[in-house]
Amino acid sequence: MRMMILVIGGSGSGKSSYAEKTAVSLAQINASHKTDMTKYYLATMKVYDEEGRRKIERHRQLRSGKGFFTIEQPTEISEALEKMEAGSRTVLLECISNLTANEMFAETETKTEIQVAEKVIKGIELLKEKTTHLVVVSNNIFEDAITYDETTGKYINAMGKINWKLAALADKVVEVVVGIPIDIK
Amino acid sequence: MKLVIGGCAQGKLDYVLLRYHLQEDMVWDGILPDDGKTFENPRIINHFHKWVRQRILDGGCPEEEVLSFLDRYEDCIIISDEIGNGIVPMEAFEREYRERVGRILVRLADRAKEVERVICGIGQKIK
Repeated sequence: MRMMILVIGGSGSGKSSYAEKTAVSLAQINASHKTDMTKYYLATMKVYDEEGRRKIERHRQLRSGKGFFTIEQPTEISEALEKMEAGSRTVLLECISNLTANEMFAETETKTEIQVAEKVIKGIELLKEKTTHLVVVSNNIFEDAITYDETTGKYINAMGKINWKLAALADKVVEVVVGIPIDIK
Repeated sequence: MKLVIGGCAQGKLDYVLLRYHLQEDMVWDGILPDDGKTFENPRIINHFHKWVRQRILDGGCPEEEVLSFLDRYEDCIIISDEIGNGIVPMEAFEREYRERVGRILVRLADRAKEVERVICGIGQKIK
């Protein structure tokens, strides 16, 4: 059965590690890993500095040996489909917060929060349609009780809309708290 | 060791005191003492995240220090705020702080016999 799973969590919550394990087990067709379906990792983070490089390095280490093909796709997420081979595949997308920020701020013209949210959601809908299993990692950025400037406020609203819609699209939603997965759908 | 987490001001300490019938004089607030004393009753470490923050500021290694503390006081209850559920901060130190508290809590949760998350004063057992 095809599956879409949304994994959410805060910084350092262990959400990536849980999402990877989930993608690996979804891709496994039987006990021997020889027949696993192709696994793709859609990386959305743009690297600006040393901290970014370290972060990416840490994630590479986590994934190493698990057989993911990495596709760098910081914007236009559905274009990643053109870079995949035909056939059954499991896709791990990490993460919605970077993708949303890239879509919102990277271009010369700034899009409205609705445009950004719709674009990201449409991209994920396409991915869901064209992959066997899809694991999407998103961030819980909503609980720090700080009132931000207008731009960040727009970003938070867009993220809220996206998470809400992705949760509706997903067959399963899991929140990772201190490394512990909690099923919320 | 038991781990209790949750947002700030959720009543975590009161929850722990009531549930385990402990007194406030058994609470270490934001410190992990290292005086070799032993106690009959379990101890509570409150505001664990503040201790982590201070150790990072002091150039310590909270990841290792907490483990050696637990080797001596395995029978304790660690209470920590969840601080990672917000917008990634602009300041590098604040980002590092959140990330390190998160990862330390993941390790503690793995080692803990029980993990509870407190919201509105109500504890949910998540491990």
